Amino acid sequence: QLTPSSFLRIGQLSNVDLNEDIHELETEIPRQRPNEIPHNEKLLSLKYESLDYDNSENQLFLEEERRINHAAFRTVEIKRWVICAMIGILTGLVACFIDIVVENLAGLKYRVVKDNIDKFTAKGGLSFSLLLWATLNASVVMVGSVIVAFIEPVAAGSGIPQIKCYLNGVKIPHVVRLKTLVIKVCGVILSVVGGLAVGKEGPMIHSGSVIAAGISQGRSTSLKRDFKIFEYFRRDTEKRDFVSAGAAAGVSAAFGAPVGGVLFSLEEGASFWNQFLTWRIFFASMISTFTLNSVLSVYHGNAWDLSSPGLINFGRFDSEKMGYTIQEIPIFIFMGVVGGILGALFNALNYWLTMFRIRYIHRPCLQVVEAMLVAAVTATVGFVMIYCSRDCQPIQGSSVAYPLQLFCADGEYNSMATAFFNTPEKSVVSLFHDPPGSYNPMTLGMFTLMYFFLACWTYGLTVSAGVFIPSLLIGAAWGRLFGISLSYLTKGSIWADPGKYALMGAAAQLGGIVRMTLSLTVIMMEATGNVTYGFPIMLVLMTAKIVGDYFVEGLYDMHIQLQSVPFLHWEAPVTSHSLTAREVMSTPVTCLRRIERVGTVVDILSDTSSNHNGFPVVESNPDTTQVAGLRGLILRSQLIVLLKHKVFVERANLNLVQRRLKLKDFRDAYPRFPPIQSIHVSQDERDCMIDLSEFMNPSPYTVPQEASLPRVFKLFRALGLRHLVVVDNRNEVVGMVTRKDLARYRLGKEGLEELSLAQT
Amino acid sequence: QLAEELAEELWDAGLPGDLPELEPECRSLLAAFAEGSAALTGCLGRRARPVRLCQGCHGHYRRLLAQYGSIARAVGNSSESHNCAKSILTSDRLQIVVTLSEFFNETWEAANCANCLKNNSEGLSNSTEEFLDLFNKSLTCFEHNLQGQAIDLSPNNYTEVCKNCNETYTKLNDLYNHLQRMNRQGGESAHSAHLCIDVEDAMNITRKLWSRTFNCSLPCSDTVPVIAVSSFILFLPIVFYLSSFLHSKQKKRILILPKRIQSNASLVNIQEKYS
Repeated sequence: QLTPSSFLRIGQLSNVDLNEDIHELETEIPRQRPNEIPHNEKLLSLKYESLDYDNSENQLFLEEERRINHAAFRTVEIKRWVICAMIGILTGLVACFIDIVVENLAGLKYRVVKDNIDKFTAKGGLSFSLLLWATLNASVVMVGSVIVAFIEPVAAGSGIPQIKCYLNGVKIPHVVRLKTLVIKVCGVILSVVGGLAVGKEGPMIHSGSVIAAGISQGRSTSLKRDFKIFEYFRRDTEKRDFVSAGAAAGVSAAFGAPVGGVLFSLEEGASFWNQFLTWRIFFASMISTFTLNSVLSVYHGNAWDLSSPGLINFGRFDSEKMGYTIQEIPIFIFMGVVGGILGALFNALNYWLTMFRIRYIHRPCLQVVEAMLVAAVTATVGFVMIYCSRDCQPIQGSSVAYPLQLFCADGEYNSMATAFFNTPEKSVVSLFHDPPGSYNPMTLGMFTLMYFFLACWTYGLTVSAGVFIPSLLIGAAWGRLFGISLSYLTKGSIWADPGKYALMGAAAQLGGIVRMTLSLTVIMMEATGNVTYGFPIMLVLMTAKIVGDYFVEGLYDMHIQLQSVPFLHWEAPVTSHSLTAREVMSTPVTCLRRIERVGTVVDILSDTSSNHNGFPVVESNPDTTQVAGLRGLILRSQLIVLLKHKVFVERANLNLVQRRLKLKDFRDAYPRFPPIQSIHVSQDERDCMIDLSEFMNPSPYTVPQEASLPRVFKLFRALGLRHLVVVDNRNEVVGMVTRKDLARYRLGKEGLEELSLAQT
Repeated sequence: QLAEELAEELWDAGLPGDLPELEPECRSLLAAFAEGSAALTGCLGRRARPVRLCQGCHGHYRRLLAQYGSIARAVGNSSESHNCAKSILTSDRLQIVVTLSEFFNETWEAANCANCLKNNSEGLSNSTEEFLDLFNKSLTCFEHNLQGQAIDLSPNNYTEVCKNCNETYTKLNDLYNHLQRMNRQGGESAHSAHLCIDVEDAMNITRKLWSRTFNCSLPCSDTVPVIAVSSFILFLPIVFYLSSFLHSKQKKRILILPKRIQSNASLVNIQEKYS
């Protein structure tokens, strides 16, 4: 039988895969010395803090709320709608900007390379074309990667995991800053132009969210401009609602799917939801798709023809030709299974790769080099595939943007080049709509195989790029291959149209990777403008999700876990009823007295070893050393504002304080409160007293020690709390439950697991 | 006899005796249209392969358009209600005249003939003439050179053709590409992206002859340098990952021990679940 203390260590270290380490540690017992372990998925990072979704209901807040009358609340409500409209408009405009720039730059690049290839095909020296293509790609991607790696690393990837965490209540540093938006937009343009296997749709969600967060605050700290509007919304709760609207507007602009956007926000993003919010979000998505539509229609020369609503337009499926019958249902289910398995494989490979990247490729310059290498290899693979392909198709009657002839006869083009020598979006559309016979099975098979690995390799690079389009492209390629072989097996029956199976394959693959069902169905339906395929798409997506979940989790959840984010799921782990608040909480708690010495406050705040954010306020009873009854809760940010304004009892008594502190003073400092080091407190002031009773939240949520973990979890999760005080039956503080205390329990393969905290 | 029966039936039904017959003017218009469409159909059929639709049939097409126009426009001599447009075009379910004319219009549009005709669609446009000239020239060149070779009877040896006709062929090809580029710049919509079918088909035939039959466009395939360069590039990531695995310091995380109450009960519980 293990002693409790030694077991505790094993409990914390059991996830370290090196068994020798455990033995060593057991003998040395480095109780105080911090342990160093390689990064793994079972960690929680200290870097991430919680957002304050719970309003601090102190006296100032109550006074202000009481002053606002009914009519003023109506103005606030109208302002919310106005903000949503602005979010929609700006998101649409950003989407237009990305689309137009990508189209022009990519067009330029492909024309240059095509001319070069055409020139060297006749004369010889195609290796120079290859070098040109690879160099162009690598240099464009280098710029895109440098700005991400050196200026704003949080702009890497699709941004969906980050936004998901933000909406869950985790404060990801810099995630909704204007600088991030700029880097994200430029980065996405450069990585798509650089020919990586990426799409520009995923980052739209992040961009929309940043826009939403920025507009709703009526100011930008990056630009140091304060427009003095929307001051009422300067708190985490309000910002969160707007960010979910922004995410929806982003999806809506990306796919031309307003309903899909709302559902995406509901399914993937928002952890907090209500009906009024739904309407506002819907409004924002509607405005966003409309804006994109009108601007793009003007750009394309047919003004006010509002029929191309999204960044990606899958084109119209001819509903007359493309029905489906009941015999095809098992085939669709089978495709869903394949999509789920391939998606799980994709995620598993990407998991190992990401782990390797976190452990070894953490220096920015290495990340840039890696991105450049991937770009060069992508170009090379494309070139070699095109070079080796002997699949020629007549140019006549096809609408290929950049037909490469290479070794084909005059008047024909290389059909591999339509897949590789194009932006991924265009390739998806041609896989959906090119008439049967445009690709031969060999081409499709090779393309699927290569693109699968390229896309898997690319996701997680330090460039901003999404995974939607590459997944769709892989799926469309194998789906089309499947359709072709089906029509071959059935001796060319009419219903085996390859385009239809390409669509189903795309849905299955995307569903298998990101594991969304509801929103993805609607997005696909809206993007294809086809309701007939609604049912098969649902079927395919659900099968893909069920099959995929059997193996590994979705890509976004996986990345959240790998980033060691304290993410709270909807429910506490199912087998956690035996744990009580007593075991979950952190103790002892640093408490402040109601009237506290300034020196003590400064010392507590400056203590680097305990970076606490909320402090229970207890009755000031200087005689007893014992912890006294709980009176309230005060946040670090509030204390800092108090210290900055020097709200000390002695100064008030001497009438040195000009005015009373208002809620506005707290809001102006939001969301970037200065660090404690920047606040100067003189030696005399240290002996002053500070009265917290007016500023603390006098009614914090508390739980008794005996409450079970699921109960604590439910309270914490549903209210979006940041601090939950654990008290005994005399209302004395015994502990504190925060996000990390709850997030560390997770249901693993062998039952309940406990994650360890780590400095990252 | 059948007509009589029908007339009788109608008579019984209480309709007026004189059936609404086609007026003579309309009848002649209809006959003209029928002949015109027969002529056009014949022309289209005869010129289907190799495609010479636009060159050969534009006169017929123009005439048919005019005839249809006069039917649609013409008002009969008698009252307003009895004009030809109404009696010919819209008095029955089938509306065969409309169907025919729509068919011809669609075919004409699909062939994109307007593209190689003059603006008033009288005769071929200058660029098309030029192209067809060149086309004929290159065909003659092919024939000429092949005749010389026919004695050799070696079907795989077309070097003569390739050498002698290269200039004409290149000119033709360039002209075609030029026309295509001009056309693409002019029109935005998808339909006008094509040249007219005659030109396209002529080019297709020539290209097929040139590169398939004669095997003239032999691109230099420099496989060795391509393989060398690509394997060099593909080799780079392996070097990169290996070197970063071996030389880069692995990132370590510092574990923080949380402040907790150690309680036996819960740990036993967890322990049970672990085992």
